[in-house]
Amino acid sequence: MHKTKHSTRLPGERSGLLMAAPYLIHLSIFFGYPLLFAFVLVFHRWDIVTPMEFIGLRNFARLFQDDLFFRALANTGVFLVIHIPLQIIVALFFAELLNRKLRGRSFFRTVYFLPVVVSGVVVAILFQRLFAFDTGYFNGLITSMGGTRVPWLVSPKWAMPSIALMATWKNVGFYVILFLVGLQNIPASMYEVATIEGASTWQRWWRVTLPLLNPMLVTVVVLSTIGGFSLFVEPYLITGGGPMNSTLSSVLYIYNQAFSFNHMGYAAALGLFFALVILMVVLLQRRLVEEDIY
Amino acid sequence: MVLLAGGCGTGGSRDSDGEARVRLTYWSSQNPQEREIARILVDAWNTDHPGIQVTVQPLPAGQSSEEVLLAAVAAGTTPDICSNIWPGIVADISRAQGLLALDEFPDFDSLYQSRIPVGLQDRFRSRDGHTYQLPWKANPIMMQYNVQMFRDAGFEVPPSTYSEFLRAARSITADLDGDGSIDRWVGYRDIQPIWHQRYFDYYAFYAGASGGRSLFVADTLAIDPTVSTQVFSFFRDLYEGGHFPRTKFQGSPFISAAIATEFVGPWNIAWLEKNAPAGLEYAFAPLPVPDGYEGPVYTYGDYKNIAVFSSTEHPAEAWRFASYLVSKEADLLLMEKATQMPIRRDLLVDSTFAGFFAGRPEMRAFAGQVEATVGIEEVGSFAEMLDAIAQQFEASAVYGVRSPADATRRAIDRMRVIQEWNR
Repeated sequence: MHKTKHSTRLPGERSGLLMAAPYLIHLSIFFGYPLLFAFVLVFHRWDIVTPMEFIGLRNFARLFQDDLFFRALANTGVFLVIHIPLQIIVALFFAELLNRKLRGRSFFRTVYFLPVVVSGVVVAILFQRLFAFDTGYFNGLITSMGGTRVPWLVSPKWAMPSIALMATWKNVGFYVILFLVGLQNIPASMYEVATIEGASTWQRWWRVTLPLLNPMLVTVVVLSTIGGFSLFVEPYLITGGGPMNSTLSSVLYIYNQAFSFNHMGYAAALGLFFALVILMVVLLQRRLVEEDIY
Repeated sequence: MVLLAGGCGTGGSRDSDGEARVRLTYWSSQNPQEREIARILVDAWNTDHPGIQVTVQPLPAGQSSEEVLLAAVAAGTTPDICSNIWPGIVADISRAQGLLALDEFPDFDSLYQSRIPVGLQDRFRSRDGHTYQLPWKANPIMMQYNVQMFRDAGFEVPPSTYSEFLRAARSITADLDGDGSIDRWVGYRDIQPIWHQRYFDYYAFYAGASGGRSLFVADTLAIDPTVSTQVFSFFRDLYEGGHFPRTKFQGSPFISAAIATEFVGPWNIAWLEKNAPAGLEYAFAPLPVPDGYEGPVYTYGDYKNIAVFSSTEHPAEAWRFASYLVSKEADLLLMEKATQMPIRRDLLVDSTFAGFFAGRPEMRAFAGQVEATVGIEEVGSFAEMLDAIAQQFEASAVYGVRSPADATRRAIDRMRVIQEWNR
């Protein structure tokens, strides 16, 4: 029996498993185990140092009474509403520019991608200096032109848009590359046909480029939504969630519960709920944005 | 020796001469001054005690020393001794049986009674009747002020009440370059709604305005709404009048003369001595209190203490080393190198320290303040409850969108809910 089974194994199967093993082990230790542990935690109270106490569904009961968590969820929504369209528009604009025959194109591609590889902490410090109300470079520029200072990070109205602006600057290079790939995959013949049919530049972009970019657009929307939901570094380092909780993101709130207040079980329950929210939003987005081209 | 070089600080070993040695690991604070103090003390100890060798190591890097210590307890990687224990986590670690009850050592009581000021002696005992921390240092929060700016504003002595402080604020706050924007303020606080920032404004000022009362009696919430409202109102007046900026500075606004006051502990003296420009005249005074307040002016003590972890294999030797860390010589070194105040009752009367205070009058002000300090109550979820206050401080004092009385009510309500959730 054993012999027969062994003989049916495909050639290279064992070596394939061996090659995949490091990744599988890594995945099991750093993803599988924490995930399973989180499922256990949601039913417990645990402050790291004392033994876990089973409390049933009390973490979820607390979650539904926790106004601050829903405020954080709403803030994350506000961030996404500003950040995703802004990111798509800016990324598309630069991708279009870089897709043309431009002098120094490789240089610009590198420049736009540079913020993506710069540490989020460095970007946060940089923007803190740019946005500072009294001593910041942006307000210095505005006042030198006779304008009044903008309360970038110290006004509840301005803080989240400022954070969204910063996050867009940091990430847009990645999406520029994705759109560039999408643009370069559109066959030139499609444009030739459209030109022969008498389409204007705008019509070619609207009727040819945009529909054929749709698969990449879906990818960008999904990726930037998931990235946007994980907003953490910027508010953590720059605003601490303020002013008036206006930049308190869901992940920052979960982090505070876990690591500032040591409510590991509650933080796990918040994390699980938040993961379900992300899943629902992404599924909904895919239904709305995705459409068959051919 | 191989054991030590390999990084295993705890345990016993036998040297080449066959003599048994106890090895202890000691975690000190991370700041350069305290690292230097630890190194000097450990070198001297190791020379004098060849049978008990100590390895010093600064607390591993982390967001805060509290997080690092909790992680170490959870991971079972605690040292034998640590000298930077914030009293707020003693309850958590001792509940997890991570600390030795120091009062079980025979000479603990005599050391404790002789060292600790009478008014503070009950403060460090845990609810179970044991004492898990050896009080080491206090950093009373006081008002550091720019003497010249106050003199120019007509104040030869610093303001001691809220109304005096506001009067000085109106003179000092100014648009110096005439561009229509204020560029000099009376003071500044970090406005981020982060719970531990509130120790240096709300919590310290509440202690001052209430005559040294805490937010809790045992584990029962006991905020005095009138006092809390007074504190919120005071800061609201400062922000509303533009006397405190709603901003974050790059660098120190005090040494660049952009602000006239800061609420700080004595540690700031060492920093100022190194960084302040020549000619910057500064001094320290108790925090302002509400008009009509009488009695000693209390403040937040910001205590850091020494503890011995239950993971040690050599409790008696660890305790001997802990006792050495609070010797007169060690305390003098703490003041000289780090400008921090040891918690000891004879600070201003013992001849060991007389020479130091003669040359450092500003340290005398802090030494006098040590006894009038409050600490952290042994209450579960304290950080989260202080976070509730931070939320209301921001809404009422910084942005003025909520009345001080309403902010107090909301803070109390939220703290009750947090207590209920975590009961």
